[in-house]
Amino acid sequence: MNDAELDTLLSTPLPERDAADFSIALMEHIAHDAARPARIASWVMVGVLFVIVTAACLFGASLAGSAIADPLLIPTILIGLTLLLSYAVFQSAKEV
Amino acid sequence: MDDSALVSRAAAKDVAAFSMLARQHQSKVRGLLMRLTRGNHTLADDLSQETFLEAWRGIGNFRGDSAFATWLYRIAYSRFLMHARKRKPDDQLDEWEGETASGEGAAHARIDLERAMAKLSAPERAALTLCFALGLSNTEAADALEMPLGTLKSHVLRGREKLKTILEGGTP
Repeated sequence: MNDAELDTLLSTPLPERDAADFSIALMEHIAHDAARPARIASWVMVGVLFVIVTAACLFGASLAGSAIADPLLIPTILIGLTLLLSYAVFQSAKEV
Repeated sequence: MDDSALVSRAAAKDVAAFSMLARQHQSKVRGLLMRLTRGNHTLADDLSQETFLEAWRGIGNFRGDSAFATWLYRIAYSRFLMHARKRKPDDQLDEWEGETASGEGAAHARIDLERAMAKLSAPERAALTLCFALGLSNTEAADALEMPLGTLKSHVLRGREKLKTILEGGTP
């Protein structure tokens, strides 16, 4: 084999590959990648929610026997927790 | 639409523009990785997916100093090297794992070439593929492989000599 023949063989274009399946898989990867911040945020929210619920339970328990307990305090905390939970669910749903 | 317009749109996180870029370049990137992985179709496609995903994440940093294709080849080669470093030495066979020759003439010659290519080192395979099959200049190929021009040229020369020996039935 001489140099010219080898160069011709080496210069043969690489076989053409079909883009369809590859592009679909790539778009799925990109969509999954784009949802990453929302996924992280939802997990952070779940963590925050857990801490707040625990704190609210402890706070509620400490007020149960106290005379200064505000009747609106517990409903306000519950509404706040509901809003936080809704936000976490909303963030999780965005990634689907 | 040319690459630079699509790249500008993709940099603004236009998925459709990036999808068009990927469609235009996927075949060559997968072809390069197929050579580098010695015909391991699944691995080549996995690394190609990683290449395009990394390109999507980093396209905002692409300054256009080189062609978009050259930038993609650089990512693909670095992805391959990262994979090769993680691999066990036992896995590093120098045999072509792709299709086997079924026809005559050109198809047969191509498979012979792939088998011979599989016996070269990764930088030699990459240098020969970029400079010949993908038509890059030596400078562009050196840029894609992030090596000095002289090193690239020696990989090309050494690779060609080894290929000639193998294809003539000898041992490199």
